[in-house]
Amino acid sequence: MINKSIPLFYSLRFRLIASVVTIEIIMLSIMVWNNISIIHTTHTDRLRDTATSMLQQIANSAGRHMVAVDYATLEDYLSNIINYKELSYIVIVDRDDRAVIALGTTAPELRPEIDTHPKQVEDGLFDVAADIKVAGQSMGRVLMGFSLARMDDAIYKSRNRGITIAMIEIILTISVTVLIGLGLTRRLSLLSNAAAEVEAGNYSVTVPTENNDEVSKTAIAFNRMVAEVYSRTQQLKKAEEKSQQLLTENRQLIRASLEVQEQERKHLARELHDELGQCLTAIQADAELISDISRDKDKRITTSAGAIIDVSSRVYDVVHSMMHRLRPSILDHLGLVEALKDEIDAWKKRHTNTTCDFICSGDLNNLDERIRINLYRIVQECLTNISKHATANNICIELFNVNENILLRVTDNGSGFDMTSSSRGLGIIGMRERVASIDGNMELETSPGDGLTISITVPLIIKS
Amino acid sequence: MLGFIPVTSASERNSCTPFNPVTFGILPFISAEQLVDRFSPLAQYLSKQLNISIRIETAPDFVEFARRTHEDQRYDILYTAPHFYPQANSKAGYQLIASVDSPGMWAVIVAPEKSNIRTVEDLKGKRLATVHPMGLSSLLVRKYLTAHNIDPDKDITMIATPTHDASLLSSYHDITDASALMQPPYAAASQQVRNSMRIIANTESTPHIPISVSPRISKNCAAQISSLLLNMGNTIEGRKVLKHTRFSGFKQAKKDEYEKIRDLLAH
Repeated sequence: MINKSIPLFYSLRFRLIASVVTIEIIMLSIMVWNNISIIHTTHTDRLRDTATSMLQQIANSAGRHMVAVDYATLEDYLSNIINYKELSYIVIVDRDDRAVIALGTTAPELRPEIDTHPKQVEDGLFDVAADIKVAGQSMGRVLMGFSLARMDDAIYKSRNRGITIAMIEIILTISVTVLIGLGLTRRLSLLSNAAAEVEAGNYSVTVPTENNDEVSKTAIAFNRMVAEVYSRTQQLKKAEEKSQQLLTENRQLIRASLEVQEQERKHLARELHDELGQCLTAIQADAELISDISRDKDKRITTSAGAIIDVSSRVYDVVHSMMHRLRPSILDHLGLVEALKDEIDAWKKRHTNTTCDFICSGDLNNLDERIRINLYRIVQECLTNISKHATANNICIELFNVNENILLRVTDNGSGFDMTSSSRGLGIIGMRERVASIDGNMELETSPGDGLTISITVPLIIKS
Repeated sequence: MLGFIPVTSASERNSCTPFNPVTFGILPFISAEQLVDRFSPLAQYLSKQLNISIRIETAPDFVEFARRTHEDQRYDILYTAPHFYPQANSKAGYQLIASVDSPGMWAVIVAPEKSNIRTVEDLKGKRLATVHPMGLSSLLVRKYLTAHNIDPDKDITMIATPTHDASLLSSYHDITDASALMQPPYAAASQQVRNSMRIIANTESTPHIPISVSPRISKNCAAQISSLLLNMGNTIEGRKVLKHTRFSGFKQAKKDEYEKIRDLLAH
C-alpha cells in the first residue's frame, strides 16, 4: 500500500478536527469567561443587596429604640444579626456622633469610607451606612461592614469549578471530536491511499464499500473507475506495443529501404562508370581515329567524327554528373569530410550570395559507411532546403567527433518556421528517418524569422 | 402669668443655653414613630424661638420613663402623664410650667355593640384590654371598677396591650370582651370602629398633660419656655404647631390639681 504523506496542515482530517476543537475551545473559553463574570457580578450584587437590605432593616428598626434611648434592646436585636457570617461589624451612632453600640470583630472608624458596591472595595471590607430616621428626624446612623473574604472564597471556588468543568468538557470534546473525525475521515483516507496506489499503477486495489453513505457511493464509483481505467490501460498498452512494433518494423523497413536505395545507387553508378563510361570512351577513341584517318580525304567524314566526339563528350559529362549524384566516389575514396567539402564547394558555386562555412574537428576518418552516406545525404538535404525555403545568407556546418559521438550541426540565419505547425515538408521527416536508421538523435531549434539549427548526434561506429 | 413664672435674675434671663441640646422627654403613650411625628413641630418651634437645640426622647415603657425621670432627671423638658407628675416633682424637682388646655382627661370602657356587655357589672368574668398597668387609663379604670365593687384583680381579667389603639382593637376583633382606654384616642379612632363599639363607662376626669422642666433649667429659661407655650395660639406658626400636635393650646397649670391624683398610683 502506497501512502503518500500529506503535510499535516493540509490534511483534511487534521483541519476538520482542528477546526471543531478550536471552535469548541473558543466557545468554552467565552462561556467560562462569561460565567466567571456572572458569578462575580452575582456574588457582589448579592452582597450589595444583602447589605442594603440589612442596613435598611436595622435603620428602620433602630429608630424607635434610638428615640427611646433603649440601647439594650437594640443591642439584643443586633447581637442576633451580627452572627450573620459575612458581617464584620455593626455600629450604632447616636445624634451626637457617639458610638452607642459596637458589635463585631472589627473595630471600625466612626466615619469609614462608605462603599457603594463591593466591586469598589479595596480594603476587603464593604462599608455601608444609613441614617436612622424616625418621622423624618435623624436619630443617628448605623454603620455596617461586610467582609469580602467569604464572597471571594465562594467566587474562587465557583471559578475553579467552572474552569475545571470547562477543561473536562474541552478534553471530552477533543476526544470525541478526534474519534468522530478519525471515523469520518478513515474511509476518505482509504480512498486517498487507493487513489495513490492507482496513480502508481496498482489497479488491483479496491476500496471497502461497507455502508450506503456518500463515501461508500464514492468508493463504488472509484472501484468501477479503477476497473475501467485498468481495462483501458491494458488496451492502450497493447495498442502501444503494437504501434511500437510497427514503428520498429517501419524503421527497419526504412533503414533497409535506404540501404537498398544506396546500394542500388552505388551499383547504378558503378554500372554507369564501368559499362557506359567504357563505351563512351571507346566511341570517343574510334571517332578520333576516324577523324585522323579522314582528315585529308573526305572533309564530311572528319566533321561527322568531330560531332561524334563532341556528343560522346557531353554524354560522358552527363553520365559523370549522374554518377556523382548517385554515389559520389569521393565519399568512398577520401571520406566524409572531403566529400562534404566538395559538396559544399559545388553548392557555393551555385549560390554565390550565400556564405557557407564548414567546421570540423576530431577524428572523422574511417566512419562506418552507413554513417558517412547518411550524414552526407542529410547535409545535401539541408542545403537543398536552405536554397529552396530559407532565404538565408549565412550558413554554418559543423562536424565534430566528441566523446565517441559524431555531432553534426547545420545552422542558417534564414526565415525559420513554426515548430508547432504541422505543415513541415518531407525533407525533415526523411532526415529523421535517416538519423533513426543509424541510431542517432535529431533536434531542431527554430522559430519564425530566427533561422534554423539542426543538431544531430550519432554514436560513433568505425568502419569494419 | 408672671406671678406663676419664677422670678429670675438679669443674667439668668439672658442665658437659656446651659444644656444644648435640651432633651424633651415625652411619655411613650404612643409608638416612637407617632410620637416623633406628632411632637417634632413643637420641639422645632421651641428650638427656633429659644435658639437652642431641642431633642425629643422617650423610653421603652412607662416604668423606664418614670425611672429616668425620677432617678436620672434625664429630661430637661418633661411631657408626662398627669399621675406621674407629682412624683416627678417630689422626687426629682420638676417644676410645672404649663399644661394642655383641655377640660380634663378621662378613660372610657367600651364593648362591642353586638355583645351583651352593657354595664360595668357585665364585665365580671370577662377579659378587659387595657394599656400598661401604670398607664393613666389603667389606673383610672381600676379606681372606677373598685368604686363599683368590682375587684379588677379577681372579678375580671385585665390584659395589658402596648397602646390605646391596640386595646380598642382587641375587643373590636373579639380578642377580648371589652377595652379600656383614654377618651381622646377613642375619639380619634375610625368611625367604623366607634360605630361598632358601645361606651359602657366613663371614669373620673383628671387634669390634662402637664409640662414641666427639670431643676437644671434656669428660671429664665423655664419662664421663656412657659411663655412660648402659653402664647402659641397667638401666632400663626404657633397655631400650626398646635393643630399638628392636636392640642387646643397650653394654659397655666396648678400644682395642686395634680397632687389630687397622686393616689392613683396606689391602685
